[in-house]
Formats: sequence, C-alpha cells, structure tokens
Amino acid sequence: MVHEDFKEMIPARALSALDAAEARAFNDHLSECDECRMELEEWEATAAAMAVSAKPMEPSPKVRERLLNEVRKELDTVPQVIPFRSATRNLWTSFGLLGAIPAVVMITVLIVGVVMLWRENGALRERVARSEEFMQLVNTPGSRVAELNGVDGGAGATAKLVYDNAGRAMLMADKLPNVPAGKAYQLWFIVGNNPPMPGKTFVPQPDGKGMIKEQMPQAAMRSAVFAITVEPASGMPAPTGPIYLRSSAVN
Amino acid sequence: MQPEREQESDVALIKAIAARDEAALAQIYDRYRVVLFGLLMRILNNREEAEDVLQEVFLQVWRKAEDFDETRGRPFTWLVTMGRSRGIDRLRTLASRDRVAEAGAREASEETSDAAHDAFKSEQRGLVNDALAQLPDEQKRPLMLAYFDGLTQSEIATHLGAPLGTVKTRMRTGLIKLRELLAGQDASFGF
Repeated sequence: MVHEDFKEMIPARALSALDAAEARAFNDHLSECDECRMELEEWEATAAAMAVSAKPMEPSPKVRERLLNEVRKELDTVPQVIPFRSATRNLWTSFGLLGAIPAVVMITVLIVGVVMLWRENGALRERVARSEEFMQLVNTPGSRVAELNGVDGGAGATAKLVYDNAGRAMLMADKLPNVPAGKAYQLWFIVGNNPPMPGKTFVPQPDGKGMIKEQMPQAAMRSAVFAITVEPASGMPAPTGPIYLRSSAVN
Repeated sequence: MQPEREQESDVALIKAIAARDEAALAQIYDRYRVVLFGLLMRILNNREEAEDVLQEVFLQVWRKAEDFDETRGRPFTWLVTMGRSRGIDRLRTLASRDRVAEAGAREASEETSDAAHDAFKSEQRGLVNDALAQLPDEQKRPLMLAYFDGLTQSEIATHLGAPLGTVKTRMRTGLIKLRELLAGQDASFGF
C-alpha cells in the first residue's frame, strides 16, 4: 500500500473501524508519517463529536465518591519523595543557614497572604478548599512556615511552604512563570552541606499559581532550605535546571 | 464542541491533574460526567457497567494526564476518545452486543441534570443530531454501528448485507459530510 491508500483509511481509523490487518498496516505507516498522524487527529475530533448525539445522562453520585476514594488511596501509597541520587553540584550547599523567622510573624504574614489568595481566586472553589487546608496546616500546633522568594528567572514569584511535626507539607506558589512543554517546577530540600533531596513536581496554573502536597523527608524536619527549579516534567533525582525560588533556612 | 475559554480551562485542569491535583480531577469529572456517561450508556446499555467504565475512564485521566498533549488534540476529544475506547473494550469483553437490555435501565436513567448543560448545551447536541439527520441512512448507519457498537467495516458489511467496498465508501463519505456539516455550524468543533 502507498501513502494515498493510507490517507483513504483515515476516517475509518478515526472510528476504530479498520479490520485487524488494515489497522496493523495503518499503525505501522502512522509511526513514520506525520501528515497522516495530523490528519487522523482532525478526524478523531469529528468522530468525537458523535458522542454528543447520545443522550446526556446522570451517573450515580457514588461513582464520583468511588473515584476520589481511589485517587486518595493512590496518593497515600505513592512514594512522596523520588529516590535520592547523589548530586555533584556544590552551589546547592552554599545557601547557609540564615536563622529562623519567628513563627508568629510568619503566620500573620501567611494569613494575610492566604486571604489575598482567597480574594483573588474567590470564583474557584477548589482553590479556596486548598487554601483552607493550607490554613489548617498553618494552625496545627508546632507547624513551621518557610517563605520562598523568586530569583533569576523566577524574579517576582513567591511561595510559602508549611509543614507540621508529622511532616505533612503544603506548598503554595504565586506569580510563577509558565514552564515550557515537558517541563515542570520541582521542589528540593537542602540540609546542611548535603546534596538536595528531590520533592514533587508541579505545573502552575496559567495565572502563575501552583500548589502541591508533600511529605517532608525526615532529614529535613529539623533544619532545611527549600528551593524550586525547572526540571523535566517527570522530575529529577538531582537538580539540573536553574533555581527559580529559594528560602532561608528553617530551623 | 466547546467555547475557547472553556477549552483553555480544560487544558489547565488536565495540567493540574498531572501535578496530582485531586480537586482538578473532581472538577473535570463534574464537567464531563454527564456526556461521557451518556456515551457509555449508549454503548453498553447497562447502568452498572457504564458507571464502572466511567470510573475507569477518569482513573485513566488521573494516571495519564501527563501524557496529554494539547498540540495534538482538544481535551474534549481526548476524554471522549478514551471513554469510547474503554466502553467498546468493555462491550467486547462482555460480548453483550446481543444481550437483552436490563429492564428499565435506560428509562430509569434518562434524566438530564443541569450539569449536562454546563459542558454541552442542548443546542450543541442538537447541532450534532441535526447534522447526523442530514446524512442519508446508508451513510449514517455504518457510522453509528462503528462508533457506538464498535463494529469493524467487515462486521458492518456482514451486518448490513452490503459489499465491503460499498461500506467503506459510504462510511468515508458519511464522515466527510458530517465534518462539513459540523464545520458549517460555526460551533467550535475543533476542525
């Protein structure tokens, strides 16, 4: 078969209606033909419109409940920190410990910041819910707060990281620049002169706001500096990209 | 199928899901559950199976969100393609094409919630149905049998008692015409 033969098949392929032998041949061709791949994507959009012809129907509320329970289970079981691999860079050890900021002052600043976030995002219910969760963590006895400030490419960006004695942590960031496709921000924990320990990755909303839940590495509980870099979206075991935000040490 | 702003919002939600944002998943579920459940009920004609597949589809969204590439298609297309594929897979697994529908299942779940109108205005559904209604039956039937029943062209030819070549031509012509009709509606169908 030649290219034109495969082009003829595209509408049927968009409907998954090719017979097995034709589908295999088409898929082989697709792997090496950008033109057919792009045309298939357009035809798939046409096929997808047919879904709307089905009568909209309401599923049981239990489906949503089961879905979110399943997701929470996954969140609880997925390792919160990517396995550590030694880094070779030394600049990460140079932040130094700048001393703790009194918790009361920090919490006050934090509350003002969160309230401002609430006002800015009042239309977004989910963000408000997350802000409430953040505030609850802030108000947990013994919780500590780190303020991260933008540097270099992240100038103007800010973030706050709060964590409690059990190591439950939340990061809220604002005014982050958008990241290129395939990239994400990644959180790092830096303890003394040791190599940075990797945290989760996240992609901010188009308005520059981002939020993640995290579990603090045990080694970072007593004293740590926090930093955020831009890395491949799947995360890295050691930082490779420039620092966008960093904190003073939290003791 | 969607206003541009809504689509942008969908992209942001999928990115948030990729960053493990559970609330974003809940939001995209709330936005699309009705249209996807309608599609799955149309395919499976069984409420319990359709609800089970609906949950699977959104779990897949949760697990595969980072694979979504906005340069290769709209969120709506991605979700519906995933939903339909899962539905057809389940249909084949159950071999339920000829199964008698469970009594009352369809009627009992025909209510359309207000949420249906959030994502897909009834007029948009009307546009698609009007476009399909304008297709000659000989073109429309192969499309419907392929899309909702998961039949291949050979199976459709057998089912309709028509030559395979004829079915291929009618299916291709029908989908081309459907695309032209929808594009002419200026309803942001993405093509």
